[in-house]
Amino acid sequence: MFQLAKKRVGFKTLGCRLNQFETDAMASKFVAMGYDVVEDSKDTDVFVVNTCTVTNQSDQKSRYAVNHALKNGHNGMLIITGCMANHHKEALEELYPNAYVVDNENKSAIPQLVQAHFNKEIVPANTTQGGVFNYAPASETFHTRSMIKIQDGCDNFCTFCIIPKVRGRATSRPVEDILKNITEVVGFGYKEVVITGVNISRYEHEGVKFSGLLAKILDLPFDFRVRISSIEPDGFDDEFFALLTHPKMTPHLHLCLQSASESVLLQMRRMYTYRSYKQIVQRLREIDPKFNITTDIIVGFPGESEEDFQASLDSVDQIGFSHVHTFKYSKRDNTRAARMTNVIPEKVKSDRSEQLRHKTAEAKRNYRQQFIGSEQTVLVEKIDKRGFAHGYGEYYVPVQFKADEVKKNSFYKVKLTGLTDSREEPVLIGQLID
Amino acid sequence: MSHKVPVANKIKTDLHEILEVRNLTDSTFVMRFERKGLEFEAGQHICVGPPNGIHTREYSIYSAENDDYIEILVKEVENGLVSPSLKKLQKGGFVVVEEPVGYFTINNKLPKNQKYVFIASGTGVSPFHSFVLSKPEIDYTLLHGVKYGSEGYESETYDKKRYVKCTSREGTGNYYGRVTDYLKENKFGKDVQYFLCGNCNMIHDVYDILEEQGVSTDNIHAEVYF
Repeated sequence: MFQLAKKRVGFKTLGCRLNQFETDAMASKFVAMGYDVVEDSKDTDVFVVNTCTVTNQSDQKSRYAVNHALKNGHNGMLIITGCMANHHKEALEELYPNAYVVDNENKSAIPQLVQAHFNKEIVPANTTQGGVFNYAPASETFHTRSMIKIQDGCDNFCTFCIIPKVRGRATSRPVEDILKNITEVVGFGYKEVVITGVNISRYEHEGVKFSGLLAKILDLPFDFRVRISSIEPDGFDDEFFALLTHPKMTPHLHLCLQSASESVLLQMRRMYTYRSYKQIVQRLREIDPKFNITTDIIVGFPGESEEDFQASLDSVDQIGFSHVHTFKYSKRDNTRAARMTNVIPEKVKSDRSEQLRHKTAEAKRNYRQQFIGSEQTVLVEKIDKRGFAHGYGEYYVPVQFKADEVKKNSFYKVKLTGLTDSREEPVLIGQLID
Repeated sequence: MSHKVPVANKIKTDLHEILEVRNLTDSTFVMRFERKGLEFEAGQHICVGPPNGIHTREYSIYSAENDDYIEILVKEVENGLVSPSLKKLQKGGFVVVEEPVGYFTINNKLPKNQKYVFIASGTGVSPFHSFVLSKPEIDYTLLHGVKYGSEGYESETYDKKRYVKCTSREGTGNYYGRVTDYLKENKFGKDVQYFLCGNCNMIHDVYDILEEQGVSTDNIHAEVYF
């Protein structure tokens, strides 16, 4: 005789003994209702996070519990309860639109809530809103670039960074899932995929590291190009550099630097030196002298001297960055840098930030200028009312050109003839070749 | 029923019973606590804190990969938030321990005859203690920079021929001077893998010295202590 499988409910409990008691009470009730009760989210129909908010760290850990379940594929009913649900209800509902956020007062009714959900009597009140985990199907959005998430979390524990606390420890998505994802989005019409994650150079799943994954992606028998998003300058092997010459690869990396001062990098506990960074850049430019390198730089990290900052400023020319995302250091609780005492005054940080932005604007123009007279394969993202097509060349330089009968989401060969006057964002002007 | 109900479920954090405390100097001690199944590679670190507080600190694991327990080497920091509390704990007490992380580990794909130089300042010797105990066959030289000879921290663990205690404030070590001075006077070669662990200044200076000696940054691995 056919028998339905028992539903499974999982729990994560943070904080005090009262919370644990309440979890135990709920668990007992679920068992009485015929559910299997487990201690994590794996293969569960319902996952309950019983949160704590006594400290910022408690908040972070509570959020981590939810994120961890979601990134590990939990797609059943999600319930966030406990003190954090009381304290941050609206924020949680916005962040997790598919979750039921249940305050302490209603915690005991969670078993009934679950039954009502499976009886299709209720849905979360906030499901109509957007959210970080509520991506629309790719076939409906139909942009020209599809972000492919390969990894989440980070184990580097840079001293300024809250990510390991918020996103959790590094985890990598299975290779087959990634290849299937890319196959799907290319099938939907995407022409470019962007490999993304928190710390993608540390990708590793069942022995396949980042270069191995990239090789498999490039081997997919479809017409698309591959771009790598933000990447840490460590863990590169010879295979990675070899793959950058693949015709599907775009010659652009957002290679995070954060500081060009060796002593500041050490204080940041980065996994590289400026020396090794320059060696990577040298190899990239040997592959392609115009290889586009963009970066992030933090100014005003605790203890950053004028000389340290000057090193970062000088790096713009030394490396030939085409763009620098400049960040003023801001203290994050529960990081090592938050315990550092030589704090840089806000005004000094602002001054340094402005200097770096000014320098970056010059560098951007210089970088883009060199493409005048050359050809780029432009992926058109939009066509404005004046009939100008806008898109990006393979070097990730913005291009606009006047053309009739140009279609969005198509590649065009464009001869570059000039640069617009914008100081902050000069755009290359081109002419359609074919 | 009772065995199916979840117990205290702190995320990847657990309470571990203290099994032993060994005082090495007035301010430095080794704390041994239950392993409780935690997996780690020599060189990784863990966050440890007192059971009744909200703060933890990072400590490189001092014990070996195959030990039944975990040990950390702690130096009490004056006015610190965590180490003074840890110092007060005794056998039978508990510490909060988060799971091990970190990339300051030995690449097992390197040849078995690979030579290593470990350079430590102070309690930065901790991961090297774990390396040596976990991989007794390893071909290493350990340069340990301390102020006084008493800060060798169980230096009898190491092969005497492979251990150089550099004392900067008195001549009671194997070398009277800073570990950086020793390194300037004694080159180990470009093919050696260098592992540095300790304060920022030492690591910064060692990078400069090794660069002058022609060592590639690919062969230098650093773990900064704060």
